[in-house]
Amino acid sequence: MTQMTMVKALNSGLNNAMEKDDSIILLGEDVGTDGGVFRVTDGLLAKYGKERVMDTPLAELGIVGFGIGMSMAGLKSIPEIQFQDFIYTAMDQIINQMAKLRYRTNGDYTLPMVLRTPYGGGVHGGPYHSQSGEVYFTHTQGLTVVTPSNPYDAKGLLLSSIELNDPVIFLEPKRLYYAGKMEVPDDYYKVDLRKASVIREGDDLTILTYGPAVPLVKSTVEKNNVNAQIIDLRTLSPFDLDTIMAGVKKTGKVLIVHEAPKMFGVGAELSATISERAIDYLAAPILRVTGLDIPIPFALEEYYVPNERRIMAAIEKLLKY
Amino acid sequence: MIEETDISKEGLLTAYKNIVMERLFDKKMLNASRQGFLPFYIPLMGHEAIHIGLGMAIREEDFFYPYYRDFGVLLQMGIPMDTILSQVFATATDNEIGRDMPDHFSLKKYNIGAVITPVAGHLTSATGIAYAKKYRKQNGSVITTFGDGATSTPDFHVAMNFAGVYNLPMVFFVENNQFAISVPTYPTEDKAFNQTYEETKGAIYKKAEAYGFNGVRIDGTNFIEVYRETRKALENAESGPLLIEAMTYRMGPHSTADDPNKYRTTTVVEGGEKDPVTVSQKILKDMAILTDKDIDDINKDMEETTSQLIDKYEKAPKPDKSTMMGNLYEQEPWYISEERGDIQ
Repeated sequence: MTQMTMVKALNSGLNNAMEKDDSIILLGEDVGTDGGVFRVTDGLLAKYGKERVMDTPLAELGIVGFGIGMSMAGLKSIPEIQFQDFIYTAMDQIINQMAKLRYRTNGDYTLPMVLRTPYGGGVHGGPYHSQSGEVYFTHTQGLTVVTPSNPYDAKGLLLSSIELNDPVIFLEPKRLYYAGKMEVPDDYYKVDLRKASVIREGDDLTILTYGPAVPLVKSTVEKNNVNAQIIDLRTLSPFDLDTIMAGVKKTGKVLIVHEAPKMFGVGAELSATISERAIDYLAAPILRVTGLDIPIPFALEEYYVPNERRIMAAIEKLLKY
Repeated sequence: MIEETDISKEGLLTAYKNIVMERLFDKKMLNASRQGFLPFYIPLMGHEAIHIGLGMAIREEDFFYPYYRDFGVLLQMGIPMDTILSQVFATATDNEIGRDMPDHFSLKKYNIGAVITPVAGHLTSATGIAYAKKYRKQNGSVITTFGDGATSTPDFHVAMNFAGVYNLPMVFFVENNQFAISVPTYPTEDKAFNQTYEETKGAIYKKAEAYGFNGVRIDGTNFIEVYRETRKALENAESGPLLIEAMTYRMGPHSTADDPNKYRTTTVVEGGEKDPVTVSQKILKDMAILTDKDIDDINKDMEETTSQLIDKYEKAPKPDKSTMMGNLYEQEPWYISEERGDIQ
């Protein structure tokens, strides 16, 4: 066990995986000599060499496409896109090749690969270094979309993703990269990709959240002594229906918190799914606290993302209902 | 000029038969699409010499990533006819169980990639496959084919750059049929609308130089030249990539969804001197390998073979609807299991 930040935990996970399996190749912009702009791949070039830790030309389309080819040929590629905001030139590859390959070939080709990319706010990056684009991936059939909320989960979910025989979009909340340390095993371990995590038990309401919003939800609930159950989804697609439904049926009140904008977001899908299956258990409308439905602004980012005041307003509304 | 080649007489005759077979299949499949047996079809006419030359050149240790107009390459490579035609006609026995359009083959066990519709969408995948070959120190090279239209895409330029940067064992092969649907590859005068229009002003084969490797232009109507140049390129690719631009002419429409009479006067017609079938006959007659009688016999023979096969596959059963939900993920998500109920 070592006290690790999320960055250190991810680095440790990549190191464990690469040590074990020489088919794993990292590639991306500045991932080698520079160790990645957030240092997630720091030290790996020195240990594994340039054949396995590749500083690529600046072309997201190429990084993803190149990784797809490697994985088609029996390697396990782990491409990094420096900021999720820059992934769009690779979206044709992600949607048309990566996500569909297994289905359209009926499994003739499978694609074990993990596309890592930092997302969300936290660094005052403005419209092009802060986007929360998870729904572009969750609405693409064939992708598994994972997002950790703490260092322990980050490493365990990453190692499970690497073992999966299907493509994973691994969204790393950059605001949590250096947000705190926790005890993380130095050795190889996994966290179940198909299981949400009940991070706090409670009776009065269930809060569904994930990734960058989790620590905020937790601190808000604790500080204000709310008797709330908190579920960290960990995997957005396919999400863990059973854990969610058990929580909803227990408390009958649901709040969804995410940093991405509200309209057509993950919250909308969760809300619809819960309504379709458990309307009789609900004692109040399902509420959402999310990022605002505007591009994320540079100077006023803190007003854009969910905060304690907005979360508490929604909780109070639900409790009074 | 009489061609010289290391291919045996039997090998050359087989190649010629496959050229004829591809032409006849093409006509019959176009016909099947007009009759409603195929909802969509990509014609091949004009590409036969390229396809058969490629099929002769590709070695067992090579990996081939084709595009959607490469039917004949598979014929010449010896892929079983049942595998090819069950895919084209999307039958129940298709290894993709009818999930993708005609000529979108996926044949991993033959070292063939999964054909993708978006133009050039496979080029960066092919470079990644070449990287895997190099990393694993495997024998052979990767060859990927695409049309002239693909050379305008970012995928082409990114793939070429990566291939140059990592000095990959691969051959980029452009089947230049001179049209991206309606737009000509190189500057062409359009009198009706008083414009000159084109996909590119610079020669495609020269674009390789900027990425640090060589490009060559070859005659795509001469199957022996295609074979010779491609085989040489595959053998040499272990020391670095090459771009080949094979010149031909798309004698038919782009697909069954367009009418070329709207945008061009077709200058290469069937039986004309630039028709790859005619060119092939002339080459083999000059080499004293083929006689007029052989040509008639082969035509008759292939006519019968292809008719029987088309008849069989256009009437073959389609996949059962119960197959359509499978193989999206290795472990099926709960909502897919639920949606199975919607197709009963």
